[in-house]
Amino acid sequence: MGRAFNTIAFDASKCDGCGDCMIACAQAKTGTDDVARSRIQIVGRDQAFELALCRQCADPKCVTVCPAGALAKDGASGVIGWDESKCVDCLLCTIGCAYAGIALDEASGHVAKCDTCDGSPACVPACPHGALRYVTTAHIYNEVGDWEDLFAPGLAGCQGCNTELLMRHTLRRVGPDTVLATPPGCVPGMGSVGYNGATGTKVPVFHPLLTNTAAMLAGIKRQYKRVGREITALAIAGDGGASDVGFQSLSGAAERGEQMLFMVVDNEGYMNTGMQRSSCTPYGAWTSTTPVGESQRGKTQDAKNLPLIMVNHRCAYVATASTAFMEDLYAKLDRAIEASKSGFAYVHVYSPCTTGWRFPTQLNIEVARKAVETNFVMLWEYTPDTGLHFTHPVDDPLPVTEYLKAMGRFRHLDEAQIEHIQRKVVENARFVARLAEQGEAGVVA
Amino acid sequence: MNDTATLEAPVAARAKPKVILCEGNEAAALGVALARPDMVAVYPITPQSSLVEHVAKLIADGRMDADIVDAEGEHSVLSVLQGGALAGARTYTATCGPGLAFMFEPYFRTSGMRLPIVMSIVTRDGITPQSVWGGHQDAMTVREVGWIQLYCETVQEVLDTTVMAFKIAEHHDVMLPVNICLDGNYLSYGASRVELPEQADVDAFLGDKDVNWHVALDPLRPMAVDPLTGGAGGKGPATFVRYRKGQCRGMQNALAVIEEVHADWARRIGRSFAPLVEEYRLDDAEFAIMTLGSMTGAAKDAVDEARAAGKAVGLIKLKTFSPFPVEALLKSLAKVRALGVVDRSVAFRWNCGPMFQETLGALYRLGRHVPATSFIGGLAGADLTVAHFHRVIADTEALLTGPAPTTPVWLNEND
Amino acid sequence: MEHTRYLIAGSSHAALEAITAIRMHDAEGTITVVTRDAHLPYSPTVLPYVVSGKSAPEQIFLRDDDFFARNRVAYRPNAALVGLDAAANVARLADGTALGFDKLLLATGATPVIPPIPGIDAVDYHVLRTLDDALRLREAAPRARRAVVLGAGLVGMHAAENLVKAGASVTIVEMSERLTSGYFDAIAAGMIERAFTDHGATIRTGSRVVRLERTEAGSRLTLADGSELDADLLLVATGVRPDLAYLAGSGVDHDKGILVDDAMRTSRADVWAAGDCAQARGFFGDDKIMNAILPDAAAQGRIAGMAMAEDPGLRDYAGGVPLNTYHFFGRHAISVGRAAVPEGGEERVRHDPQSGRYVRAVFDGDGRLTGMFGVNEFFDGGVMAQLIVRRMDLSAERERLFANPLAVGRELMSRTWR
Repeated sequence: MGRAFNTIAFDASKCDGCGDCMIACAQAKTGTDDVARSRIQIVGRDQAFELALCRQCADPKCVTVCPAGALAKDGASGVIGWDESKCVDCLLCTIGCAYAGIALDEASGHVAKCDTCDGSPACVPACPHGALRYVTTAHIYNEVGDWEDLFAPGLAGCQGCNTELLMRHTLRRVGPDTVLATPPGCVPGMGSVGYNGATGTKVPVFHPLLTNTAAMLAGIKRQYKRVGREITALAIAGDGGASDVGFQSLSGAAERGEQMLFMVVDNEGYMNTGMQRSSCTPYGAWTSTTPVGESQRGKTQDAKNLPLIMVNHRCAYVATASTAFMEDLYAKLDRAIEASKSGFAYVHVYSPCTTGWRFPTQLNIEVARKAVETNFVMLWEYTPDTGLHFTHPVDDPLPVTEYLKAMGRFRHLDEAQIEHIQRKVVENARFVARLAEQGEAGVVA
Repeated sequence: MNDTATLEAPVAARAKPKVILCEGNEAAALGVALARPDMVAVYPITPQSSLVEHVAKLIADGRMDADIVDAEGEHSVLSVLQGGALAGARTYTATCGPGLAFMFEPYFRTSGMRLPIVMSIVTRDGITPQSVWGGHQDAMTVREVGWIQLYCETVQEVLDTTVMAFKIAEHHDVMLPVNICLDGNYLSYGASRVELPEQADVDAFLGDKDVNWHVALDPLRPMAVDPLTGGAGGKGPATFVRYRKGQCRGMQNALAVIEEVHADWARRIGRSFAPLVEEYRLDDAEFAIMTLGSMTGAAKDAVDEARAAGKAVGLIKLKTFSPFPVEALLKSLAKVRALGVVDRSVAFRWNCGPMFQETLGALYRLGRHVPATSFIGGLAGADLTVAHFHRVIADTEALLTGPAPTTPVWLNEND
Repeated sequence: MEHTRYLIAGSSHAALEAITAIRMHDAEGTITVVTRDAHLPYSPTVLPYVVSGKSAPEQIFLRDDDFFARNRVAYRPNAALVGLDAAANVARLADGTALGFDKLLLATGATPVIPPIPGIDAVDYHVLRTLDDALRLREAAPRARRAVVLGAGLVGMHAAENLVKAGASVTIVEMSERLTSGYFDAIAAGMIERAFTDHGATIRTGSRVVRLERTEAGSRLTLADGSELDADLLLVATGVRPDLAYLAGSGVDHDKGILVDDAMRTSRADVWAAGDCAQARGFFGDDKIMNAILPDAAAQGRIAGMAMAEDPGLRDYAGGVPLNTYHFFGRHAISVGRAAVPEGGEERVRHDPQSGRYVRAVFDGDGRLTGMFGVNEFFDGGVMAQLIVRRMDLSAERERLFANPLAVGRELMSRTWR
């Protein structure tokens, strides 16, 4: 398993070309305000700004073409370091790099490149618009990457689907002493349980019925507990099987405090079987059973807030999560695993569906992020002791249109529908915020 | 009491058995306790409720060491037990009528996964018309879903069969779930003298359990349980056929295993029951009536009285309804020239009773025509009395000389 | 007989990239590297800097023993390939051993061309291709008073600059009409020439040496015009070519170099070639060319390694694009692509003699960049190479790109393939 590294990410849509990052870099690296000497270069015109910055490539061509051994990728940080004592100023590295990530600093006469300021890049905090982020999730991938991937390679997810990411990470984290239930839906649909004798999973795995996931897992866990064996009973279920037809067994198991980790991958509908509506489908969304026509334009009801319903079961642990916020997800996964040893742990992951929501496949994580940034989705966690609290509060949410506009399933919305969705987002945010306040106020340590 | 099953002498002199007076639901619970399951899951429903109450009490009192799951409905009841069985647990539950209907989805799946779950059906009629009283309609409705179904005649048989059911279900040649059908009201609430077997004898009879050797959800031997199987081509359909044939083979194997287990029970415990088909005064009979479950007592009394009156009538009782014991039944049917079949439920599509319908199928193999009449009675808790069976006997006797009716005879219609 | 899954002859950029590529796909297959050199791998490109003292000889090695241990590579220095039986998959080494292989990569580089000048065998001269050459030249340079460099390629020019800086009186003799031909165009070459003459060097372009004689101080050169030059240090830097004597009787087809297809495979199924010894397709035409530059050696080595390991990610070689950088007297020249203006195409030139900044951009008739050249005008050569290789239609951006190749190149890069 290769290593992952922290990285500087650039969101062109937030950049206004102000150049503050370049000034910060020039100051940090050269002690001057000469933006030409900055190792991060914002280029472009009008309102479209582009970036030239070392990507700290995994397979760096600058290193490959250096005749002097002056460039090397650091195995621990991933940063490609430049050794002035070895450099012969030949500039071949600037020919090797296709991304303008290493360039001549004419004032010094040497090449210069980003070294991420040893892990606290000066440019990132200097950006007033949040266009630059220092992504620090690498440690998760490195830690987890050393553990065995308990799914076989080659699961057949749709292009751009992030559920496979979620599955692989979750099962790696939970580990081999697990019995995994994947009720009918996308998770078995991509081959986790398998097909005609071949399976995609290295731990015991099964299709429950769409209706009885939590009940079957409860029976499994209880028997192992009875014979003194420690296993994790894990469900990776879809929203339909959890919120609709499987809700009774879910609620029953939660009420009984069955010891399991129940993860819902909420893609807001029955996506595996052709994108039909579920009770988690949001208002206005096109699905194949809430089509857009002359007299009806998408779903006419709001989504059921399943995680809040689970809070009202007073489960040992309830959390919402998003694949756009992996550190948050991981922290919650750890707490959920722990809670599942003594009670019912529920993790609700909002998981955009490239196919069913109809957006370009490369935008999955971006759509997931926008859902959070608009408060369409809120990230929080709950335990009976600590109450509900936000783990990624969004105090100044973007208008919900920033989220809706990315997706074909909302393209038909008229103003009234958008207004309805925005109103519900605000109402829901207020509702959850009140719960969070009550949690703050009412908890006795 | 019966004239075909062989009552063998006990292997050793035994202490005088403990005798109690109890109703069928309690007898079932006591049988369950003797079988020492790891897990029971319960959801109450009339007329089963006192059964699971007894089980809960036995556990609460420490007289039974099982994990009890008070599930939120029958669907989950059976689902919990499936999970338990896949993890190696011996499992038990009971239900009836609407509860059975509600659990149909996992019910169908239990036999497909070859899980040896034991479940009592405290049979109930309905729905609809809404009814909370006895009748075989519930169990009959699911007779084609791959479960073994054993119908009991007496409270004692309920207790004994409950224990035997685990051994049948878990037999490696069978590996199928078993229903013990006890008539709602008449057996569930009927109090009767019951002898309790010794726990040690039951333990020796059942032996070690090994319920998930063939399919398991166990991290120590990971496997995918029930992946998608089938499709238009490739090895899928062939694999599916192999599974289905295996289920059918298990059902057929069960016929011999049921006999073997009953014989073993008789040897060890000293009580025997006809395992598949019971004949009563049949050897010299010209015609027979056929019964199922608790009605048989009144039927036997009517046969005795008819015999006393000079009628050459005998009785055939089915204990094992699923798998349908065609060969055993044919041996009995070969002895008579006319047949009256009394069902406590209906087969809507054939306008007759389900046992009648299935017996017609068996009769085809007899190679000779036996006129038969379908009698439907005892629905929704109605009592089937000796008087009813005299009518059955008379109508059946009439078949020896007259035409057979093409429609069923409805008992209790004008009671 | 000893046997290896992968045999790599040579130890510089092409060979090293091949090792990495093989190990990406095949963690197990045995790899053996044989090289005529006595040292750990290094780049010929760095040698002028060893001569100048800028590079410490012990610091130039591109890989250490640990690299070979980690990658489970048997590294055998002082083991030149001297013969090849491609039918039997057996290589013969200088020490007489025979080595069986499943797959062979020829990455044996090139050796200096020694021009057939009468008397050359009688005089002492330097060449600069190996570390040992560089160490010898480094030792001799400070003592040189009158140095003559034969050949005005980049090796010769670098050495000449070093000798100038060491205080010698330096004459550069070049047969062709201008310096650095094949690397830089006439204007750039003129700027380079001026820099050298400004620092006291003498440039004799269009000159041919017809005789060499040994003298007490060193050697005397007689040029075609009859003039004579005395030298106490003579450097022969008239180019390099692969020494392919080991191919005799092997059945591996070769021309100037070893002929390879777009997967670097030679005419023999189990033999590949890459780097300075290979003759592969050029980017600007179907002819197979010698493109003896470092970036191409690395790219070819990578392709050959992938092909040998049967990596399904293998993509055809894009074709060789000339890419050169050159630092001289504090100035820099960058050359990307083909200098000639294609038929129907155009060139744009900007030259400010005051600042010494020079840019020349060449486009073909479809508005696609085919060359970008600069002196003292920095642009991202790697970005320009991508614009060329991607054959992007830049009709709409042509003026802006020419006016500001650095910023506009980056903008195009970020927009197109960031």
